[in-house]
Amino acid sequence: MPSATTDTAASAPVTPAVPTGTARKKRSIAPAALLVLGVGAGIGSWQLRLGSLQHPEPGLWPFAISLLVAFSALILLIRPGDDPVEQWTRKSWSIGAGIGILAAFILLFGAVGFLLPAALTLGVWLRVFGGESWRSTLVLAIAGPAVLYVIFNNLLGVPLPDDVLLRAFS
Amino acid sequence: MDTISNLGQGFSVAFDPMNLLFVFIGVVVGTAIGVLPGLGPTATIALLLPITYTMDPTSSIIMLAGIYYGSMYGGTITSVLLRLPGEAASVVTTFDGYQMTKQGRAGTALGISAIGSFIGGTVAIIGLTFLAPMLAQLALAMGPAAYVALMVLGLFLVTSLGTGSTFKSLCMAGVGLLLSTVGQDPIDGSARFTFGQAPLLSGFDFVAVAMGLFGVAELLRSLEQTEKAQIVKTKIKNIWPSRKDMRDSAGAMGRGSVLGFFIGILPGGGGVISSLASYAMEKRRAKDPSRFGKGAIEGVAGPETANNASSSSAFIPLLVLGIPANVVLAMIFGALLMQGITPGPQLMTEHSDLFWGVIASMYIGNLMLLVLNIPLVGVFIQMLKVRQGILVAFSLLIVMIGVYSINNSAFDMWVVLGFGILGWIMSKTGFEPGPLVLAFVLGPILEKSFRQSMLVSGGSLEIFVTDPASAVIFAAIAVMILAKLFGGRLKTRQSRPATTEAHADGEDPATAIAPNPAEGPEQPRPTNSSDAPANTEQTPEKVPVSTRSGTP
Repeated sequence: MPSATTDTAASAPVTPAVPTGTARKKRSIAPAALLVLGVGAGIGSWQLRLGSLQHPEPGLWPFAISLLVAFSALILLIRPGDDPVEQWTRKSWSIGAGIGILAAFILLFGAVGFLLPAALTLGVWLRVFGGESWRSTLVLAIAGPAVLYVIFNNLLGVPLPDDVLLRAFS
Repeated sequence: MDTISNLGQGFSVAFDPMNLLFVFIGVVVGTAIGVLPGLGPTATIALLLPITYTMDPTSSIIMLAGIYYGSMYGGTITSVLLRLPGEAASVVTTFDGYQMTKQGRAGTALGISAIGSFIGGTVAIIGLTFLAPMLAQLALAMGPAAYVALMVLGLFLVTSLGTGSTFKSLCMAGVGLLLSTVGQDPIDGSARFTFGQAPLLSGFDFVAVAMGLFGVAELLRSLEQTEKAQIVKTKIKNIWPSRKDMRDSAGAMGRGSVLGFFIGILPGGGGVISSLASYAMEKRRAKDPSRFGKGAIEGVAGPETANNASSSSAFIPLLVLGIPANVVLAMIFGALLMQGITPGPQLMTEHSDLFWGVIASMYIGNLMLLVLNIPLVGVFIQMLKVRQGILVAFSLLIVMIGVYSINNSAFDMWVVLGFGILGWIMSKTGFEPGPLVLAFVLGPILEKSFRQSMLVSGGSLEIFVTDPASAVIFAAIAVMILAKLFGGRLKTRQSRPATTEAHADGEDPATAIAPNPAEGPEQPRPTNSSDAPANTEQTPEKVPVSTRSGTP
């Protein structure tokens, strides 16, 4: 999504109307993936049977849409366009780490409840990505999950899974 | 008059103490996120969707609407003071608003924006009050074929008005429609694309998709940004504009209200387009256009009025036809669906409390914003001190619990993370999530209307031509496609002179903001959603847009 980045985009050198070489190849990855999606969904819908316009089977509607996806992806493959695309930077790796943390949170959440994984997630995130001091990291990582727990579990009535920490203390 | 008595009933709903509280929460949160870096209206509404699930439908829509128009006020503050547009529609305000700040007139710029926003918003709500019932009558007479046509029009406008490549948007709309078919077939209930996963039988949850694409994706993106928080040093004084300032801006506000109102009604309208159009209009009308970009007060008053007018009138297609005009409204649409209410022409009669209550709350909300903004600007600016890392970390946790709370299943947490990753990759590769989400919301209704049309017509596609309403709409789409094809060719032919002109006129931000200089001046290209600036923001002046997604 567009938003910000624009700053980089604006200052980036103007790309030629039809990118060539590696630039073109890079721009073809997404359309190629979309083409695969379109064709795959098309085959899947075909297997669901199409039926007729008056008596459509489950596959007819998705099949029509698959054609749309495949068609537009094909055009994008042929004409990748020249609109500015964000650069991948070393910082992009930190996003991979962020995703990893969230995945770990979800796994732990199912296993030991909310409080512990939330405190760990906050701790790592605030210290590593937020660059907070140890003191404010500790305060926020301990107080934060407790406040959220009270808001969601007690005030909003969200039944959070059985919590290991709470069981240990009660 | 009937409308008046209905509105009276609406006010009795809106003046309910709980609802008053929710309007207040909505406009304060809206203003705050307009100011805060890191979150825009789309992301915020996405984050709050699970909470609204537990609320009364009317209160939840009142609050979400407040967030939407409140963010339009809030975005202005940082545009004027720091040249950081809080959301896309405020980009235009940076041109003259920031110049006014440099000249020590920050207070006046903020004051006139608040007054303009109030006037624009109120004019649009009055229009909404009287136009909506008439349109609903009209819409009730429409058959399924006309509905198909309307939705195709909505999707078409969203894809073709988008800033990015049309085919990219088209492709995303296709993906959105495809995703909406996952689950059970609406007629015979057989499973489609569920890959044997039981949770997928009910399809992807809209909230999880929206929270992933807008919320999580935007929060992840913030890890890539290196912006440091900025501190406002400007002293704000003389917020209440002088009589001369008011006289200078009155015309711009009047024109902005009307222009914004009509642009907002169009599918794909709202926000950015209206503020750009108003800026272009004011500049063209001015006796001395060279003042623009150097602190012309009309350049602040007009666009600010227009963007608030359009964000209010954008509720018309949603509440009357059941078609969300932009991404933020698609979120509100999703919120209504979650409550078991399908927006459409029946809304006004079947849920008249909600319909009129929301409209009445908008009058109140705008008044609250005027009162809040004039004396409290300083308080909101303090929020800029909240550190990004803290905001992001807590928002992510709230997303996770929020999405879990919808079905009490960890499966939805994986869905939200998956769509978060997808959204981030899309932003990297220049695909906009707006058309995807809009298509995802419209998908099931479109399929249903299409199948109904086929039943009515006995399997003949001719129904789309023989049904008068559908024929008119499809003809309009055809005309627009032709205009785009030929217009595009004409422009390419003229691109040389136009480019030179644009360069010669380099100071002109309205020109600059058109992504393609060949488009020529005074022809800003709109984006598809009220808060989706996309590359609109690449002005040569390099307006630094904060990391905030205000701008999904």
